[in-house]
Amino acid sequence: MEELYRLIPDKYVAPIRSRLFYERISEVRIINGAPVRICYDGAYYFLCKSGITKDKSCAFVAEKNEAESVVMRACEHSLYTVTDTIKRGFVSVAGGLRIGVCGSGVMDGGELTAVKDFSSVNIRLPHEVTDCAAGLFAKVISGGSIKNTLIISPPAAGKTTMLRDLCRLVSNHGYCVLLCDEKYEIAAVSGGQPTLDVGCCTDVISGVDKRRVFETGVAHMRPDVIMADELMGNDLNMIVRASTCGIAVVATVHAYDYDDMLKKPYFKQAVENKVFTVFVTLSGAPRRTVTVREGDGHER
Amino acid sequence: MSVKIMVVFLCAAIGTAGGYFVMCTYRRNFVYLDGVCKMIGELKRNIAYRRDGVASIIGTMSAESVQLKKNIAEYIDYAVGKVDAPQISRGFLPKETYERITELFRSIGRSDGSSQIDELNMYEDAFSKLREAAEIKYSKHGAVAVKLGFLLGLGVGILTL
Repeated sequence: MEELYRLIPDKYVAPIRSRLFYERISEVRIINGAPVRICYDGAYYFLCKSGITKDKSCAFVAEKNEAESVVMRACEHSLYTVTDTIKRGFVSVAGGLRIGVCGSGVMDGGELTAVKDFSSVNIRLPHEVTDCAAGLFAKVISGGSIKNTLIISPPAAGKTTMLRDLCRLVSNHGYCVLLCDEKYEIAAVSGGQPTLDVGCCTDVISGVDKRRVFETGVAHMRPDVIMADELMGNDLNMIVRASTCGIAVVATVHAYDYDDMLKKPYFKQAVENKVFTVFVTLSGAPRRTVTVREGDGHER
Repeated sequence: MSVKIMVVFLCAAIGTAGGYFVMCTYRRNFVYLDGVCKMIGELKRNIAYRRDGVASIIGTMSAESVQLKKNIAEYIDYAVGKVDAPQISRGFLPKETYERITELFRSIGRSDGSSQIDELNMYEDAFSKLREAAEIKYSKHGAVAVKLGFLLGLGVGILTL
């Protein structure tokens, strides 16, 4: 909570503190010179003195360089600590907050060397929902082994929250979990210690891309299961490799639903090759539902 | 007679104290600049490998200079968002040192790792020169100031008689 308040101007903090419930806020969006928006209970509103409103005329309007101020506060005025992630479009903040950043790219020989003139930021807040994956846990664990599981959902539907809770449950069950927290938002490690509960048997590698985690993790950490967020098509080779080494994989992917996921060629191939045996589809707000399919493609 | 000796002794003591004060002034300037050079070295080492934030790097440093400690605390207040701009107090600092240190605290953390190290190298050169000058002033002129103070005090004491 305090992390968000540290990032945004005091005038925005006052109505959030006094008028809103922090746990219902999932995003704060700031665009230079535009009204400040907030995602509250899954819907977008403008932030104003009295809390939230649909009327943009009374909303707070972000100042000229406000996006840059947020980024500089996020990195504690040490831009060099986040230049690599800014080039990938985000900044991670302690407590699992992730800030999506837009600005102007500086290119050199076809390579992005820096991002300047930040124009907008989207501050995304993590939420721990304890036991939200309890039902899924029963389906993922079968006969003492963990099934390769793919959690499918559109952005902001709760797949990271689901993955975190599943990680906690599997880990607390005694399995060695290797968590690939590329963007510091699952375990939110700070000072070498997770600040969000990911279970007592979870090894966390933060800020490192999945390819390296799979390579080093399989070789040196001897995990029972590797968990990773937001798979891309080219990550599937590593998953196949881990699976053939006897290590289960639980991962998430951006797609509207199961059929939408099949439109991605790499994932379609993975389904045909039975790389994953459990598919979990999460639908976004307001009607949040969880649908589980097993390897045969039938819904349960 | 004893009153006369007392007067001469008192004048010499006051003169020596004056000279010692001048030497302390030189020393604190040297200690400040030495601390700044160490701070820059620590920043360079950390940024080259760990890449911690500036506030956490300099926040864990143990600076001998009280003024430098104060300046670091002022910068940390800015870095953690307590104030909007770094407000670096001048204290006893000479104009040139103050301008340099203000410039350093205002510019630090505003570029990528390699550019930051290049910039720190530049500041290290500048502060090393200032430190060398301050060291000479402290070690040579400081001792001279104490001796001169003593002699001056003695002279004034004798003349007073």
